[in-house]
Amino acid sequence: MNVIVNRVAEFLKRFPPFSFLEKEDLYEVAQQVEIQYIEKGDTLFAQREPARPHFFVLKEGIIHLTEKSSKGEEIREICDEGDVFGVLALLGKRPYLLNSRVVQNSLIYAVPVSVFEKILEKNSRVALFFAAGFAAGQVVVRQDLSQGQRARGEFRKSTKDHSLLIFADQSEFKISEEVLSCSPETSIQTAAQLMAAAQVSSIIICDQNQFPLGILTDKDLRTRVLAKGISPDQPVSLVMTTPVVTRKKEDDFSTIYLTMIRNRLHHLVLTEDGSTQSPVNGLISDHDVFLSMGNSPAVLIHALMNTREVSEMRKIRDRAEQMLRYYLENEVSMDFVSSVMTEINDVIISQALMIAKEELRNQFPEMETIKFCFLSMGSEGREEQLLRTDLDNAIIYQDVPAGLAEKSREYFLMLGEQVIEILLACGFDPCPAKIMANNPDWIQPVSIWKNYFSEWILRPTPEALLKSSIFFDFRPVAGDSALAEELTLHIYQEIRKKKAFLSFMGTTALQTPPPLGFFKDFIVEKSGEHKDRFDLKARAMMPLTDLARLLVLSHEVVGINNTFKRFEKLAELEPSQSELFLQAGKAYEILMRMRALEGIEKGNNGRYLDPKSLGKIQRQLLKNTFSPISELQELIQIRFQLDYFRR
Amino acid sequence: MSWWEFWKRKGAKPDFVQSFLESNESGIPSLRSINQLAFTVLDTETTGLDTSKDAILSFGALKIEQEKILVNQSVEWYPHAESHGKNTVAIHELVEIPNKLSREEFARQLLDYIGNSVLVGHHIGFDLEMLLAYLKPLGFTRFPNPVIDTFSFAIRLEVGPQADLSRIKKEDYSLDALCMRYEIELDDRHTAPGDALLTALLFLKLLKKGKKKGFKNFKDLMKNF
Repeated sequence: MNVIVNRVAEFLKRFPPFSFLEKEDLYEVAQQVEIQYIEKGDTLFAQREPARPHFFVLKEGIIHLTEKSSKGEEIREICDEGDVFGVLALLGKRPYLLNSRVVQNSLIYAVPVSVFEKILEKNSRVALFFAAGFAAGQVVVRQDLSQGQRARGEFRKSTKDHSLLIFADQSEFKISEEVLSCSPETSIQTAAQLMAAAQVSSIIICDQNQFPLGILTDKDLRTRVLAKGISPDQPVSLVMTTPVVTRKKEDDFSTIYLTMIRNRLHHLVLTEDGSTQSPVNGLISDHDVFLSMGNSPAVLIHALMNTREVSEMRKIRDRAEQMLRYYLENEVSMDFVSSVMTEINDVIISQALMIAKEELRNQFPEMETIKFCFLSMGSEGREEQLLRTDLDNAIIYQDVPAGLAEKSREYFLMLGEQVIEILLACGFDPCPAKIMANNPDWIQPVSIWKNYFSEWILRPTPEALLKSSIFFDFRPVAGDSALAEELTLHIYQEIRKKKAFLSFMGTTALQTPPPLGFFKDFIVEKSGEHKDRFDLKARAMMPLTDLARLLVLSHEVVGINNTFKRFEKLAELEPSQSELFLQAGKAYEILMRMRALEGIEKGNNGRYLDPKSLGKIQRQLLKNTFSPISELQELIQIRFQLDYFRR
Repeated sequence: MSWWEFWKRKGAKPDFVQSFLESNESGIPSLRSINQLAFTVLDTETTGLDTSKDAILSFGALKIEQEKILVNQSVEWYPHAESHGKNTVAIHELVEIPNKLSREEFARQLLDYIGNSVLVGHHIGFDLEMLLAYLKPLGFTRFPNPVIDTFSFAIRLEVGPQADLSRIKKEDYSLDALCMRYEIELDDRHTAPGDALLTALLFLKLLKKGKKKGFKNFKDLMKNF
């Protein structure tokens, strides 16, 4: 190989998409490169010029991609070493949309489109790189966020295949080795007494060699003995399940698990050689299996529903986080991921509520019949809480006669306090603004809640608007959801009376700080604990949440709280803007995923990213998510006449 | 006895030499713009500095057209020579080079490659002398092409056309020194194509400098050469 070609190839292979090329293809590309030197002040190509038969890779120097508009020339992108630009030639052979201004003397590798077209055809990752708009200055972001998502998955370091994660923990599944057994002649009652003493749900009936003959379970006692009125003095052999299905301990987990599923077994007897003609040495129950399977939503939810132990709930929620990580890394759809996590969080809340109710039952017998509803707000209200970030919640209860007012206030406060304590013990963070179900302000009967909302809508002070951004996303989690629905209806009535409220909300949606600075770099925190970090929540996610909420309220949509589902709904309601809304939804999904992964990685709430730690693709993907934000902001500016309000 | 010796005896030159010389007869119009010029940037690695005794180990070159370096037209050739100096072989580690070209193959490819382009190199006079010495048995005595030495081109651009060469520090205009000054990454030194690439990059940068001084066409470029 020619030294010169080799040198070009060595440079190219450090950067995507060239890094995805096989050696052979890389050399083919390198061989065709033309090297160009342009000096500061020059323009490589200009807006509206027809596309060249090359696209460009910056070898050294700095080039700004700029756009001329009525406002003058604006920088859209800054290219430095290794950046790929001018790819329109490659994609659509359309004229350039941007100018490329040389800011620092630059050496450019021009790659002929013709060589690359061949490679695009056979290398899907390279094709995705371009399709997803990762090359600089493509300004085709809107069509391509979903491609971007896909692409990011593709570019992820390929880790081990976890497709059978469900069986991954097999080393951990536990087999009961001390098996309770009795002879076939034992009376049913004696067998039941043995089971009760050992606190187990099954007993194996064995012959004198300890070979298994049958099995008797709790359920058998219920259905075959009590229900049928069989005398407990009869021998167990009369009611046992026989013959038994057996396997051996050394079988792998999937064999054991599948045997149980196929035979609908709750208990599987293990013997030394796996046959019934060999002594029993273990027993495995579906409960053990569930525990060891660990990271599947059904299992976690099942386990949660079956425990009242707060410490156990915490462990299960920790495990849910591992499952979450797996989902996020594997680009499982955000719709599914957030639904599952919301379900798990909701079950925890319901369980907590149940525990609290039971504890208070004796103390407040008269409260048994009072209807109430536990509301989640903020991110959990929007069904977007992947990590255990701040709790935002409240309690709404039915209006009670004056005589019960004091008592109910006391009861629901204690109830709320208990629930919050349990949730904190499960690893959730408290709300810094104390918007939680242990704050008397937010534990109120329906009528007071209605007043709250009426007040906020009528007098949208900055504080009221801040509160609305949290409270308007309420969602009934446990209890009587009719109360929540009543409140929703009330809110829409009030808004209809005072349309201007939406405009006030709009101003908040526009107040969020811009994500990118003048040089198209991430604006990072200037000082404090998060110095030099990018605030993903405030600068990218909150604007989208605010915008979605505002638009959904303006359409009087009920029951859709999730930001990306709200955008989907909006796309449906406004077909003319559907593309923008769908992109906004996608952008939000990407941000949620990024934040959750960051949070899991760092063991925090994932809110602050270090832009420097992001790879080139991550950075570009993140930047791409900003473009729907500014488009939406323009849209609502016009729609809600916000120029007038801001004056 | 091969056929070219037959021609040489008659005082004639092989066909390809003949057609090469013919292609260079008309010369390049002085008003041709720099952008339209074709350059061949070349470098040779040799066994030593004595053109009468030493031999060419390798030849590397690339083309510049429309002020772009065409990587796909870069070449790296190893002409076959009867005897090499023993010591340099070790230095350059060119012990076993496959695909060595016979004198005639090399000459044919070389002349075809450079055509009527402008030849560029650093201290190119030496390289051309080495090449001529090697091609002499073919009756090839002179390169008719215009030649630009980046050494004197750089001096002319930096000091001016009337520069007094005796007062110039030569080491300031070595390829290394120039590359440093013009911010060109040094690597692959001491391979012919590697040096040719460095020279080409340097030349591109010098051309820009020249254009700023008002060089527009072939005539401007060749002043003082």
